Amino acid sequence: MAAAWRIERSTAASRAALFAVALAFAALLALPARGDSGDLRLAVEICYSLALAQAWNLLAGYTGLVSVGQQAYVGLGGYAFFALTVLAGMPPLPSLALAGLVAAALALPTAFVVFRLHGAYFAIGTWVVAEVFRLLLAQMRPLGGGTGMSLPVAVVRDLAQSRGARDLITYYLGLGLGLGTVLLVFFWLRSRQGLALTAIRDSETAAASVGIDNRRTKFAVYAIAAGIAGLTGALAFLEKLRISPDAAFSVGDWTANVIFIVVIGGIGSIEGPILGTIVFFALRALLADYGAWYLITLGALAVAVMLLAPQGLWGVVARPLGLQFFPVQRRLRPLNSPQTAPEAASPGRGD
Amino acid sequence: MRTKPMPVSRRHVIGAGGAVAAAAALGLPAIAQPRPFKLGYVSPQTGPLAPFGEADSFVLANVRETFRNGVKIGGNTVPVEIVVKDSQSNPNRAAEVAADLINRDKVDLMLVASTPETTNPVSDQCEVNETPCVSSVAPWQPWFFARGGKPETGFKYTYHFFWGLEDVIAVYTDMWAQLATDKVVGGLFPNDGDGNAWGDKKLGFPPVLDKQGYKLIDPGRFQDLTDNFSAQIGAFKQGKAEIVTGVVIPPDWTTFWTQAIQQGFKPKIASVGKALLFPSAIEALGANGENLSTEVWWTPAHPFKSSLTGQSAGQLADAYTAATRKQWTQPIGFAHALFEVAADVMKRSHGPGQRDATLAAVQSTRLGTIVGPIAWGGAGPFKNVSKTPLVGGQWRRGGAFKYDLVITSNATAPAIPAGGKMAAIV
Repeated sequence: MAAAWRIERSTAASRAALFAVALAFAALLALPARGDSGDLRLAVEICYSLALAQAWNLLAGYTGLVSVGQQAYVGLGGYAFFALTVLAGMPPLPSLALAGLVAAALALPTAFVVFRLHGAYFAIGTWVVAEVFRLLLAQMRPLGGGTGMSLPVAVVRDLAQSRGARDLITYYLGLGLGLGTVLLVFFWLRSRQGLALTAIRDSETAAASVGIDNRRTKFAVYAIAAGIAGLTGALAFLEKLRISPDAAFSVGDWTANVIFIVVIGGIGSIEGPILGTIVFFALRALLADYGAWYLITLGALAVAVMLLAPQGLWGVVARPLGLQFFPVQRRLRPLNSPQTAPEAASPGRGD
Repeated sequence: MRTKPMPVSRRHVIGAGGAVAAAAALGLPAIAQPRPFKLGYVSPQTGPLAPFGEADSFVLANVRETFRNGVKIGGNTVPVEIVVKDSQSNPNRAAEVAADLINRDKVDLMLVASTPETTNPVSDQCEVNETPCVSSVAPWQPWFFARGGKPETGFKYTYHFFWGLEDVIAVYTDMWAQLATDKVVGGLFPNDGDGNAWGDKKLGFPPVLDKQGYKLIDPGRFQDLTDNFSAQIGAFKQGKAEIVTGVVIPPDWTTFWTQAIQQGFKPKIASVGKALLFPSAIEALGANGENLSTEVWWTPAHPFKSSLTGQSAGQLADAYTAATRKQWTQPIGFAHALFEVAADVMKRSHGPGQRDATLAAVQSTRLGTIVGPIAWGGAGPFKNVSKTPLVGGQWRRGGAFKYDLVITSNATAPAIPAGGKMAAIV
């Protein structure tokens, strides 16, 4: 009987879809040739929002770490970038990379504390940690305290002399961050550690019983997500030119919006956050000028999706079609009739 | 709130097409519509700072009416387009919308108002992206020094008009000198842009109060949106402070003042910046708002006229009340003055798309506005900063509205008439 089955990873549809993704990426690479600097800035914002969404999805969707304190690492990354460039006088590009490392490094001791909490307590704990970092930074006079500080024009010029060249550099940095995060998550989930992640998501006890080191895996995911948030913070505040504790550790901008993206897109898949990012920025472009109504619409949409389509919009689109752009699961199919519907397989939420 | 292009219906297009065809048939020269001179305007219209942007829609409607037929620039009539963005009281959002206005809308001149949390991110974007910018409604020190401004070099693209800490200190001490007190002052300085500047040991209140013989009790910086002021109240009570001052956000003042009364602390004078600017904040205190004092940057009694509409300060405030049935607020004058500067700059510019000429026009501004004369190009920070007059006032009940702001100190600007003398809080 066993010989009549085979393990399948990619399907014809997913291979075609991957090709489409590659085409879209090529189009993005060529965007600076056509878009003006406004388009490029928006693209950078979309890219780092996607990176944050993928990182949060990895935390909450795969490891079950529902953090509402990712703004801690965005803020730390942003402040590390300002400290390195303005106070230490380092060039912007190495500072950017180092800011990500600083955030990841600070995540490790933090994890020791917050990992003692579970479920809702963990969520609140991460938020408290972010507030603690915000209050600490508000006391640091050399970084402007509660007033905040501006990035001197000289530092920005250090990146590139002309505005056009600066736009180009930040655009490719943003694209690299967004795409890099997607690929990182994709290859991670296809690896042995990816299997461990999905096992932990489904049952921590069962995962431990088959020999997975839950604690080490969670530490790794938490630190990587913090590193991505740190890089995002550095890039975002290089674009915003000014940092203050309230802006850097804003729970709305860096966590609530990101949770919205992942939830409406579809948690526990790579495609979900991508779709969610597109939907979020489309809504913002259409509605942001309507003040409070914009936020009410976002909230209503999130509630509707959670009630009517808990798998998110991507689940609604992809489930019936068996569609996958980024195949990370293994399906079991009978060898003689490849057309059999996926119920023969073990679909789960994407394993 | 953003300016939308006039909706163009199919009929309009066909009609216009017909007119063009007719004109062509008659051999008339087709006149190309020139590119409009674009003004960007950023202010907090929603969120905790929304009272600062409350008058914006009135001011904008008024200004759009005067710009309806365009402005004359070097003999040509150029249409004016105003693109309005809401900062949502969020510095991140302020930076984003400013970048959008610069890169996407390609504004020729940026205008921005209200609190360092709005003016600073927008000014920073303009300085780096080389767009002329005029800002207001933030004391000049938190705008200049908190952005890393160096008096020797200053900024190239960003210009500001408002008063400074030296003015508010002079006004407050003049108000306090009118009453007999023990000269002990309790200071409420939060850890934000304004609070850090006011409480600064070198540039803020402490050195001046020291010199004038006041004893300052400063319990230290606190975070905005604090819900317990017992520590501060305890310190003020223990030091027997008869004067309270500071610069706090409106909800924090309501919390502090309510708790102070509960705990039996009632100073003779409370002169507070930012929190007591708006009638709504005073009304929220019920009967406990009587005789609280604040700095006054603009009132209907200011003896200035608009260079744009010819209205006096009183006429502008009356027009606001007639249009909105609301009591006048101080930002009306300053929002209007920003557009006065814009109109004057446009007239002296070389038209849209001429950045260097627009910048030169900003730099050489010499204009009498509804908030007083504005000119840049002085020494040090005053290359980028133009100061407007400041007086002080007390909120009193019994006028046309629940509370009225009465000017009680004009020693710093005698041209602005005083309406009464300081009275102690009872």
